[in-house]
Amino acid sequence: MADDIGRLAASVDTLTESFEAHRYICSNRIATAVYLAYHLRKPVLIEGPPGVGKTELAKTTADMFDLPLIRLQCYEGLDEAKAIYEWKYGKQLLYTQVLKETLDEVLQGAQGFAESVARLHEFGDIFFSEEFLEPRPLLKALREEHGCVLLIDEVDKSDHEFESLLLEILSDFQVSIPEIGTVKARREPPIVFLTSNNTRELSDALKRRCLHLYIPFPDAELEQRIIHARVPDIPAELRRQLVAFIQDLRDLDLKKVPAISETIDWARTLLLLHTESLDADLVRETLNVILKFQEDIENVDVEIAALTSKAVRQ
Amino acid sequence: MKRTLDRTLTSFIAALRNADVRVSPAETLDAMGALELVGYRDRAFLKDSLALVLPKTAAETETFDATFDQFFAFEDPQPKADAQGAQGEGDDAGDGQGEGRGEGEGGGGKGQGGGKRSKFAAFQDAEEEEELGPGEMASPRSTLGRLLMDASVVELTVRMAEAAREAKLEEIRVFTQKGLYTRKIMDAMGLAELTREILDLRASAGVRERRLGQELGKRRDALRERVRDYVEQQFLLHADVTGRRLREELLQKVKLSNVEQRNFRLIGEIVMRMAKKLVALHSRRRKVFKRGQLNVPRTLRHNMSYDGSLFDLHWKSVKVDRPKVFAICDVSGSVASYARFMLMFLYSLEEVMPKVRAFAFSSDLAEVTELFERNRLEDAIAKTLRDYSGGSTDYGQAFADFRKRCMDDVDNRTTIVILGDARNNYGDPRTDILKEMYDRAKRVLWLNPEPRSTWHTGDAEMRKYTAYVHQALECNSLSHLNRVVGGLLRAAT
Repeated sequence: MADDIGRLAASVDTLTESFEAHRYICSNRIATAVYLAYHLRKPVLIEGPPGVGKTELAKTTADMFDLPLIRLQCYEGLDEAKAIYEWKYGKQLLYTQVLKETLDEVLQGAQGFAESVARLHEFGDIFFSEEFLEPRPLLKALREEHGCVLLIDEVDKSDHEFESLLLEILSDFQVSIPEIGTVKARREPPIVFLTSNNTRELSDALKRRCLHLYIPFPDAELEQRIIHARVPDIPAELRRQLVAFIQDLRDLDLKKVPAISETIDWARTLLLLHTESLDADLVRETLNVILKFQEDIENVDVEIAALTSKAVRQ
Repeated sequence: MKRTLDRTLTSFIAALRNADVRVSPAETLDAMGALELVGYRDRAFLKDSLALVLPKTAAETETFDATFDQFFAFEDPQPKADAQGAQGEGDDAGDGQGEGRGEGEGGGGKGQGGGKRSKFAAFQDAEEEEELGPGEMASPRSTLGRLLMDASVVELTVRMAEAAREAKLEEIRVFTQKGLYTRKIMDAMGLAELTREILDLRASAGVRERRLGQELGKRRDALRERVRDYVEQQFLLHADVTGRRLREELLQKVKLSNVEQRNFRLIGEIVMRMAKKLVALHSRRRKVFKRGQLNVPRTLRHNMSYDGSLFDLHWKSVKVDRPKVFAICDVSGSVASYARFMLMFLYSLEEVMPKVRAFAFSSDLAEVTELFERNRLEDAIAKTLRDYSGGSTDYGQAFADFRKRCMDDVDNRTTIVILGDARNNYGDPRTDILKEMYDRAKRVLWLNPEPRSTWHTGDAEMRKYTAYVHQALECNSLSHLNRVVGGLLRAAT
């Protein structure tokens, strides 16, 4: 399997092709990011407006390399117990109980206090062994035998403390568990993607450890190719029109600008309605697919006719 | 070879740093790793790769793209050199010595030097230029000559970069130094030796030698052109920013009332940057509070050592303590420009100080918080100054208004910042209200833009007011402001 990955990641061109085969159309810079991530063994921090395919990139990479995808969704209050590991407290308590009951047997024949303590110590260590360890996504990712793709989604939603927690795993692919020691990645370290919507500035320490990839909205040409890959049945002329319309829409002052995912949804909708060409009424009726705020819809409403005719004419 | 390439990378990184892209040594190492993998062959590929490793924000990526294009702007020089040779036949014999002297005098002397040269060249033209036609040439003896005749573009470029380093080109500061550095680089590349050789060759009897002499002359001039381009680029990369940095440093210390209109934008940027630093410094302040939801796993774990008896409890909720700031700004003529920058500062700190309420007065007090919420920062400041800065200063009236409007909102977590020169036109200072604020609030700060020595002169009431504030500070430059606001945030916890 590793050979397969090596072959795919041999050059940026092979990567781009193989992404395309998996219906993910990407710019050169994106492919270069994956190329470097694989060869330099560095995590990639992906930033960009929502809906440009940040999460999708990680998913497709996992798909393409045929590796398991382990995903950690970040949120406020996420801590090591949910992200790295946790002790199985119930099991530990249960075993303590059992030990209590069999204490007599264990200590039987022990001479003096020192020997009793020594015997008990043998048990003490068991409670903090792998047996009682519940691995969470990050630890799981490190323990994958053949490597995996680890997606740490929306890392900007987590707290500062959690960010610091990530540093060790990002730079050395290892985590330290006080009671056990350091767990290192198996033979193949995971390919790590972090995504951020920039709701807050990430710390420099985190950024320093990552490659930084900014995915902007695609230009018209790239977006057309994306739509072609994702909604292959849509007629070429309609595809051109709707992409032109969306591109113009992005220049307007909107609360939430339509992203690629919205364009794809819209293309699917129009296909379902057997549309041949855009017209103002149709756009008005389907506007709620691309705009998610009533305020935006009202604002755009007045401009629909102009935008539509412009998109059709081009 | 590899080491020189690495040095090219380091000087590129220096240029990036100059352009305000922060690059740490760790990232430099990463960049070298990427470079080893990618190599210098494919320019676009290299650019994409370094763009992923070096810049860390979208804005930095943009700067990076521009800097990369500028820094690695080497065109393929060979065709250019030929064109130069064909078109510049007359220029051909330009003597390095004469020209160098002309340029050494700096930008001003350049035209003069050029004039001298063209005359000189014309003279030499008639004298020496002979039609030798194409054909075999002798091989050059000097190092630079060999380099010019045989070496590839890359080798020549690398040699040039080395020479530039020897000449300490990165220290270039003003544009008049351009000629000087061009000359220094040429010298470091072995110009003297080459010039001697050309003279010898031209004087020699053999056609092959003379032909070589001509060719070398052409190539030398092309090279000089290239070096000059290179110096120009490096000047833009290194010196431009240094000038700017110098200006920024000055602006931080200059009295805010003296700042000229054209520097407002730059000051705005500095304020933003300072604010960002403060945000980064202070946004991590959190307190774990002793109430709310029980954090069961953590409690269990911490109590294991007590045989499972739960008495050391841990809670889930984490509270961020953020300061509540009331800013009362005198916006009358004398203090308006200070108010502008303080408001700019306070509102740039939204992330760590979301609860800023701003008041402006010259005689009557008005709350401008909403104005700032609804408008862009610059617009809000402009509107505030336009609407409230008329009228003569009356601190007593302003304090009375403040008590009427929002004394009830002042609690023991509030910090009140008053910005003003305390020049009350001999009116009633109403220190009683200030005392009330002092008693209720956590802290009252008075920022006075005047130097301490004039605080108690004329109609200034500073002596009376100082008794009822926790701290009275002189505050008339950006670095003062930075210190004050930093202190505000520190005191917040």
